[in-house]
Amino acid sequence: MPAAAVRPLAAVRKWIGRWGLIVALLALPVYYGIRDLVHGYSSGFVNGHAVINHDLTQLGFNLVSGISNGSIWALVAMGYTLVYGIIELINFAHGDVFMIGSFVAAGLYATFGLTAATGVFGLIGGLLLTLIVSMLVCGSLNVLIERVAYRPLRNAPKLAPLITAVGMSFILQNVGLLWRGGSPEGVPDLINQNKTVFKISGVIVHRADVLAIAVMVPLVFALTWFIGRTRAGRAMRATAQDPEAARLMGINVNSTISLTFLLGGMLAGAAGIVYALYETNVWYFQGFEAGLIAFTAAVMGGIGNVRGAVLGGIIIGCIQQLSDSRLGPQWTPAVVFGYLILVMVLRPRGLLGEETREAG
Amino acid sequence: MSDDERPPGEVRSEVSVHKGQAPEREGVTRTSQASEPAAGLGPGQFTAQMREWRNAFERRLPPWWSRAVAGVLIVIAILLPFFFTQTSGFLNATIISLAYVVMALGLNIVVGFAGLLDLGYVAFYALGAYSVGWFGSGFFFKEHIHVGASHLQGTLPGIHLNFLLIVLCAVVIAALAGIIIGLPTLRLRSDYIAIVTLAFGEIVRVFAINGQSIHLGGGQTLTAGNLGIPAVDLPYFPVIGSFNLLKLRPWYWLILALMLVVLFVNLRLRDSRLGRAWVALREDEVAAVSMGIPAVRTKLLAYAIGATFGGISGAFLGAYFTTVNAGQFAFSFSIFVLAMIIVGGLGSIWGAVLGALLLSYTNYYLIPDVFNDIPTKIGLNFNLTQLSFGIFGFLLVLVMVLRPQGLFPERRRRLELTGEIAAEDAQLVESETAV
Amino acid sequence: MSATAEAPAVPAVMVADHVTKEFGGLVAVDDVTLDVPRNSIVSLIGPNGAGKTTLFNMLTGLYKPTSGRIVLADREITRARPDKITGMGVARTFQNIRLFGAMTAVENVMIGRHARMRASVFGSIFRPPWIRREEREVEAKARELLAYVGLRPPVFDQIASHLSYGDQRRVEIARALASDPILLLLDEPTAGMNPHESGDLTDFMRKMRDELELTILLIEHDMKVVMGVSERVTVLDHGTKIAEGAPSEVRNDARVIEAYLGKQD
Repeated sequence: MPAAAVRPLAAVRKWIGRWGLIVALLALPVYYGIRDLVHGYSSGFVNGHAVINHDLTQLGFNLVSGISNGSIWALVAMGYTLVYGIIELINFAHGDVFMIGSFVAAGLYATFGLTAATGVFGLIGGLLLTLIVSMLVCGSLNVLIERVAYRPLRNAPKLAPLITAVGMSFILQNVGLLWRGGSPEGVPDLINQNKTVFKISGVIVHRADVLAIAVMVPLVFALTWFIGRTRAGRAMRATAQDPEAARLMGINVNSTISLTFLLGGMLAGAAGIVYALYETNVWYFQGFEAGLIAFTAAVMGGIGNVRGAVLGGIIIGCIQQLSDSRLGPQWTPAVVFGYLILVMVLRPRGLLGEETREAG
Repeated sequence: MSDDERPPGEVRSEVSVHKGQAPEREGVTRTSQASEPAAGLGPGQFTAQMREWRNAFERRLPPWWSRAVAGVLIVIAILLPFFFTQTSGFLNATIISLAYVVMALGLNIVVGFAGLLDLGYVAFYALGAYSVGWFGSGFFFKEHIHVGASHLQGTLPGIHLNFLLIVLCAVVIAALAGIIIGLPTLRLRSDYIAIVTLAFGEIVRVFAINGQSIHLGGGQTLTAGNLGIPAVDLPYFPVIGSFNLLKLRPWYWLILALMLVVLFVNLRLRDSRLGRAWVALREDEVAAVSMGIPAVRTKLLAYAIGATFGGISGAFLGAYFTTVNAGQFAFSFSIFVLAMIIVGGLGSIWGAVLGALLLSYTNYYLIPDVFNDIPTKIGLNFNLTQLSFGIFGFLLVLVMVLRPQGLFPERRRRLELTGEIAAEDAQLVESETAV
Repeated sequence: MSATAEAPAVPAVMVADHVTKEFGGLVAVDDVTLDVPRNSIVSLIGPNGAGKTTLFNMLTGLYKPTSGRIVLADREITRARPDKITGMGVARTFQNIRLFGAMTAVENVMIGRHARMRASVFGSIFRPPWIRREEREVEAKARELLAYVGLRPPVFDQIASHLSYGDQRRVEIARALASDPILLLLDEPTAGMNPHESGDLTDFMRKMRDELELTILLIEHDMKVVMGVSERVTVLDHGTKIAEGAPSEVRNDARVIEAYLGKQD
């Protein structure tokens, strides 16, 4: 029986489809790692002469920052991926909900009287409270957005809710603009984010890094537990797979969707306060950029897949840091979006996603 | 799709509004041409009555009436500037609005006709503007190329092409860009198309900003970043002479001419083989392809042609604003143009025109010049211009939720977006089909 | 019953040669060989999920076979694009009617003619006389086809989604005919029809075969139609061909009866 002709072009295409993206992702750290080792990099000046190192410490530092930054994106990406998984909608406004989270947190500092001088216990208590309030506010905001802008269009063509999503995004951005103006605004560095916590073979880990990971990890576990072990979580999974069947099984699809938005919003709120503590400034426009970065992360990891969102977030965080420190922050958006396009071209299902049907 | 058609494990297919109705009982047909208006009172019947009157009215008009109306409108448009001064703020807003009409018509081809949600349209605006910046100014100071330029421009360093030649360059560059941007999106679903095109738009913006540090050799950079390429040439035509920013009328007639050309092209394409192919692809790609429509070529044509209009308008605006700086090319621009065609009526040519005029005037005239101090008058401490983001966002949400087909919908789109089965003017009629 | 791809009694318009389609682990079509003799009407039957529509999708290029070949006249079309295949003379209708719902019946049929038109972008913009003539001719031909399939003129300019189910089916056939096909694939054309309408369609299929010199391959569940119109019947079950032959032979085939578990008209 004649087998399908093995055409070299088809074989190359298949290989690129499976490995192309991973190669492209590894290219950056591998290239710069080798360059650092061979070429060396300047790590400061002593007596007017540059000190050249030939080790991987700078790369390590990039990656540590990448992981912690990426943890913030992971939190935002999880919200994106949850919502997309359940109603196949890119919640454009999600990034701006994150921005509102940062704004709320920054606002609460003043309300709770938190300053850099507050004592440890007061600080921890205050921040915990801020975290909770932020999460609740953003969660509710996300639920509201769904009710107002997406639910009425549940049965409309895909174009419609996408457009209202953009509209909501703009409305939120304007709110941010009016709230704190058009330029980035500094917020108190409550935890002294730049302080070294420890070193791993020469690579410095700051408080900010620990914070980001310390917030992200438990939330990921909590979310995974919730989705996997609770009845509501099962309802979410069922609705994501097949809303009609879920409805027939007696699941209240509307509430389930609202719940999904609530969780996504809460994660965005958490990301918001972490961002405020990490970056020590907030900006009305941060949501737009964050949204695109987090969406890239979600898609890269595999849309609809929570673990994928975390993986994607961390990867994007690392890419961002590498780009920031090696190419310059003015190029980073182009680099991140370049990778987004690469993902869409090479492997739209993402790293951990399942194979989707062929076009047509 | 039946189970036979769908392979196992497929992601849920896109929701869309009806595809054919359920089987009817024997011998009953539904037609939408009501011979009498449906009986009874209520909003459905009211709309049906309106439609019936409009149909009856239209049937009584002579066949040349639409051409006559068009002719009258064009004459009015040509005479318009004479009612305003040469530096009128209203005329300025009108000129900008007409440029936006061209943009909207272009985006309408991509999003409205072909159904490809392009959120990066700003890229074509940028490329059109940079065409003027590169080929109509002293930016490339090492060169001395003059084709069709005025005497004065001829003496200056740089590349100085006649404005129409620059428009031609813009068309070519934009079309190529459209194809490049469109290529990765061909197999993607609509939401991914949105994100990818958005990403491209942002990449273009990043290059526009950082272009001032991209060196092309000999001190020449790619762009002038946020500072902008200054002193872009004013258009020059042999008999008319050079344009002048203190005399707005020639600018107005130039953009009016460009707009009429673009409108003409649009109308011709809509009612052509290609126009039908776009709509078919948009409605049902599988069926369209099975009918012999080549998906790749047809989609790329949509991107390319839509892009050329953006390039044309971009070239005009580049000259009109006399500077090309990266700050002009933000994402919000793409959304602004999208809002125009959504509010006007997605897929409808006249909807695009009217939506563009409406939103443009609102943004460039009503908000800054007319209504700007309303918030302060009611005690809030900001101007209305600071709310423009939010206003347009709100408009998008409002229109999509309440009237997704827009203000002046095209017949086809109205059905798609509202899910009307035209129940209000359907009549159950005994079967008319042949036995 | 021909088991190989060479030299059946009547030249075949289309041959599917040992075609298999796998989706991940699932084998939807398993080593099916099928030839469709010129100017005949062949029915493809089998229980739901047997792989009939999957086979159709491969014949029209929507799916690429995992292995096997598909030959149209004497050209291999195994990996050809669907629009190219339509251009070569294969047209189809769909199981769930897939008309362009917001367009009129005439416009739908005009779209069917896309592959046979020559208007280019510039031609469409400038509309020289030959383009205008082409548009007029295409529209006239569309109306002619709508009449041919049995619709009355008032219906021609109706929005397709407003038409009755039976009318929509006819429009779909007219649309398929618009590309001047040599092979027509009909996917459950009589679904949802009453016996009277099915009878009409059966007569109409014969009419198309004779007047237009068409070859027709249809998927059907209505046994009366199958028995009444087919010159040959091929039976699929779980992706494999379990029987093939004249209608009367197949009807009494034990395996076929078992596969259907006694399914009637």
